[in-house]
Amino acid sequence: MNLLATIALGLLNAATVLLAAPLGEGLLRKLTARIQSRQGPPLLQPYYDLLKLLCKEDLEAGQVPSMQRFAACLAFAAVVAVAWLVPMGAPAPLNAHADVVLLIYLLSLCSISTLLAGLAAGSTFSLLGISREMMAMVALEPLLAVALVVGAVHEKSLRLEAVLSGSVYGAAGFPWSGLLTLLAVLLAFQAFVQRAPFDMAEAETELMEGPLLEYSGPKLALFKYARQAKLMVYCALFVALFAPWGLGLGQPLAWLWFWAKVGVLVLLVTAIAATHARYRIDQALRYLGGLLGVALAALVLATFGY
Amino acid sequence: MAAPDILKRLKDKAGPAIQRADLPDERRLFVFVEPSALKGLCQFIFRDLDARYIISIGADDRPHSGRFLVAHNFAFDKEHVLCSLLARLPADQPRVESISDVVPAANWAEREFRDLVGIEPVGHPYPKRLVLPDGWPEGVHPLRKDVRWDCVPPGYDEHREFTFDEPPPGCVVVPFGPFHPTLDEPEHFRLYVEGEVVRGCEYRGFMVHRGIEKLAESVLTYNDIPMAAERICGICGCVHNVTYAQAVEQAAAIRPPERAEYIRTIMLELERLHSHLLWVGLAGHIVGFDTLFMQAFRIREPIMWAAEKISGNRKTYSLCLIGGVRWDLTDELKAELHAVLDRLETEWRAVAAVVSRDRNVQKRTRGVGVASRELVKNAALIGPVARASGCDIDCRRDHPYAAYDRVDFNVVVEQDGDVWARLLVRVQEVFESIKIIRQCLQQMPDGPIQLALADELPADRLGLSSVEAPRGECHHFVLTGEQNRPRRWRVRAPTYQNLQGVPAMIKDQQLADMTISLGSIDPCFSCTDRLETIDLRSGVTRVYSQAELLKLVRTRQANQR
Repeated sequence: MNLLATIALGLLNAATVLLAAPLGEGLLRKLTARIQSRQGPPLLQPYYDLLKLLCKEDLEAGQVPSMQRFAACLAFAAVVAVAWLVPMGAPAPLNAHADVVLLIYLLSLCSISTLLAGLAAGSTFSLLGISREMMAMVALEPLLAVALVVGAVHEKSLRLEAVLSGSVYGAAGFPWSGLLTLLAVLLAFQAFVQRAPFDMAEAETELMEGPLLEYSGPKLALFKYARQAKLMVYCALFVALFAPWGLGLGQPLAWLWFWAKVGVLVLLVTAIAATHARYRIDQALRYLGGLLGVALAALVLATFGY
Repeated sequence: MAAPDILKRLKDKAGPAIQRADLPDERRLFVFVEPSALKGLCQFIFRDLDARYIISIGADDRPHSGRFLVAHNFAFDKEHVLCSLLARLPADQPRVESISDVVPAANWAEREFRDLVGIEPVGHPYPKRLVLPDGWPEGVHPLRKDVRWDCVPPGYDEHREFTFDEPPPGCVVVPFGPFHPTLDEPEHFRLYVEGEVVRGCEYRGFMVHRGIEKLAESVLTYNDIPMAAERICGICGCVHNVTYAQAVEQAAAIRPPERAEYIRTIMLELERLHSHLLWVGLAGHIVGFDTLFMQAFRIREPIMWAAEKISGNRKTYSLCLIGGVRWDLTDELKAELHAVLDRLETEWRAVAAVVSRDRNVQKRTRGVGVASRELVKNAALIGPVARASGCDIDCRRDHPYAAYDRVDFNVVVEQDGDVWARLLVRVQEVFESIKIIRQCLQQMPDGPIQLALADELPADRLGLSSVEAPRGECHHFVLTGEQNRPRRWRVRAPTYQNLQGVPAMIKDQQLADMTISLGSIDPCFSCTDRLETIDLRSGVTRVYSQAELLKLVRTRQANQR
């Protein structure tokens, strides 16, 4: 693929994620409202919200304003960068130039930006929030890494196109390792996208939004946008990793089919978030720890070719 | 054992120290004792006779008897008796031995009469200010009769900040309040946190005082006070309204017409219904389960509409006057109420079934915020908190008022003492309330709803009344007076006692459990804070304009840089 095509595809991916993310959030809010017997806000409300926040005065509240600005930009940039690495109805734009390890790094960068945001704000509640975020990250990052590596083990390659094409099921016989990985990631998915019951880092009723407590205006908009985009990116990643079929349909059908699958996943996330109470951090860690055990078992199976 | 038997036990114990005893009826007992014998008798009643502590009251009675008055109220729940131990203290030396070391639940009440009436509880284990702000000058006690209701004493420093205790070593202080999203009222907990574990806390509250008691004693009249009393609380206002009216009626030996008693019962239970539904929703919200919150509020709404049809208001029913009620129930309203109750019962059964099976909610509430039987006794915890810890107390059955002695209902009791048990108690009590209202609607006789009171109410009489509010027992003490108003009126809202149990409930728990533990007692800070008087010029009337606020924020930042 030549350079121009790479850039064009990358921009398409990034633009789609950025444009669709508030819509996904709107969908999420509307469905949540329906589950709760409410009317719910208009589908486009998240766009208005972001616009409003972006147009506000950029107030600086917190201990290290420059760091806070940086953290907000980093959160946003990391998610947009990830969009270049995930195949979204077409091969990943940076297919030839990146591998799974970079993907894992960039995804950790999302969490690290929250960490920076909380540290720089320096209030007690944000510090408590990031300590929870850290603890969750310690359990989640290995889980993600294992999920990506299982495919890599089957394909004996870390290249994006090799891993993100359903290769987790690439076992010689019945895909034991693939199905186990699917199970682990599916059960931990709410934690990856930080929705209930795993939203304890931002628990409004306990920590008053935790790391984001001190943020307002454009910076808050960036964090919110990043969070919405993160939901999209993780859903896309999940689809690419575990349900990539349909790429052969030809464009633009394959592209539409892909985003339809992402939409279904968003609805699933919403339904679970709306019907579950929040876990406490120790309960969440025990839960995620168990899933990590399952994922490691899958990795062991994969190395033996199952 | 009725009131005369209890009096006999007291006489056997204290003998000549008992100066005078009043038994207006079988269920009330007022005993005047020597101040020196007060503590010993309180210990005897609380420990040996196993009575439940209610509240302590200080009063300035100097214009009439030349003395100060202190009272400790106890409830004999099994014997259906409310008892008050009173002592007169000399005007020049208002000191009384503190009972907090033998009755730990008296801690706040004694600090409160020290602040507001200036009666010194000698030997109090923690004699820190409770109600008055730290900038208030020493020696000015707002509830004394020589202090005007609108007095701001010279030397009052409204900007003075609270002085706090030192946190234990190795702990971080996490401020919880004065403004926190789970609590819609100002209060301040300083949590001492080690990692994610709460090791202790200090409470400073009483920030939104409206001086209602002082107003009642100096400005309002008997029939104004029910409306002011109702505004003590936005959730259980009707409870205060009825409790006050009953306390005065008991003091003046008035019995309202039977139909009025039934209407009071119905309105109190309507209030319990909406309050329980509201609380279950809030509990869901606190543990991050907003769907439960939304559904509970949807189901609750028809109750509010029914109340509005009856009284003209969704809340704040303005129900009672002395000797009756103001709103009647027509046949049309009765039919509508039946329909509302039927629908509520069906919908709430569905919610109860879902909640009682929900594993996530159980995970967050089981073993959390546990109140042991011992804590319930020592801190005198009440209402659903006590009933969830296996204490079978309920004023509706134990100290029957209005028409509760003529209806049949169960007192829901759970054993575990945790938040989950409190949730179960309140979910189940909804069905009992529905049962009570249905019986009342059926049994209610025709007749007048208000007594015609020709004479002035007699002065110098004592009245006690306990009403089971949704959150627990609400208790009012009235000493009647001249000029058509009480000489002393003391309100003890349920949160006043339950809040004192919270530090023990949250100790060594996860920080994440703090909100639901506190939420589980259904705290009402406006109820607890009803007392402080003359704070007109401090935070209350100070309104910042947006520009001022911005300036404040920016200068502070500039200073930090």
